[in-house]
Amino acid sequence: MMPRHRARPDHLSATFAALADPTRRAILARLASGEASVTELAKPFDVTLPGISKHLKVLQRAGLITQGRRAQWRPCRLRGRPLREVADWVERYRRFWEESFDRLDDYLREVQRREKRHDRKS
Amino acid sequence: MTANRDRTTAQVQQAIVITRVFDAPRELVWKAWTEPEHFARWYGPKGFTTPVCRIDLRVGGKYLNCMRSPQGQDFWSTGVFREVVAPERLVMTGSRADKDGNVDADWPMETQISVAFEEDDGRTKVTLKHVGMPAGKGRDMAEAGWNESLDKLADVLAESRRA
Repeated sequence: MMPRHRARPDHLSATFAALADPTRRAILARLASGEASVTELAKPFDVTLPGISKHLKVLQRAGLITQGRRAQWRPCRLRGRPLREVADWVERYRRFWEESFDRLDDYLREVQRREKRHDRKS
Repeated sequence: MTANRDRTTAQVQQAIVITRVFDAPRELVWKAWTEPEHFARWYGPKGFTTPVCRIDLRVGGKYLNCMRSPQGQDFWSTGVFREVVAPERLVMTGSRADKDGNVDADWPMETQISVAFEEDDGRTKVTLKHVGMPAGKGRDMAEAGWNESLDKLADVLAESRRA
């Protein structure tokens, strides 16, 4: 049950995997309101600093965030593009199903009309 | 712009949830989803056909579909039924495949499609939920739901779209 276009399956899969974790989603939500250091990002969570770093690595690999090179506090920043790819993917599936449902609607009417005709004959 | 923004939020939050009421009894709608000769008549966008449709309707059973575009290009998909509760509920996985039903290795993504059929005064309300998840190891995590509360994120998304 696949729509007909493919868009960067490898990227998309990495994005989905990265979004699969609630802590990582919370990190992204925090970064949506501006850049933050690793320490700042760790604060609201019951996770160690190395734990947060692990999550950040996953997000970085998926291209969802970038980390600055400015020595001391190396701020993390959100990147919107992979999220747009997810949204595009979702939009394609939505259209796919909407169009299929239009056809299902027509088909069900047709089947019932046929059944009625058949009933009248017998 | 507001409408656009709302739509984006909904997409990011929920993956895909579509509800539609069909003017037909539930048994017939169930049949349309689960019997190949019916399913092949409506599956896919307008102008597409389904020359191959095999359905082994039981938990753990597989399906294999070929969808053909108006230009004659074939798209195969396969999956496994996770829940089969006639005539109420159907849950299956979905992956791209080749004509022998081998999952496309270039598409490391599995999706899950659940369909609920509810009776509504002689008509049938169908709720379809389609969630994407990475195949393999990440799956259990993904099934916990990647699609919650990404409100702020969606706002950023909408903004970067406008930019």
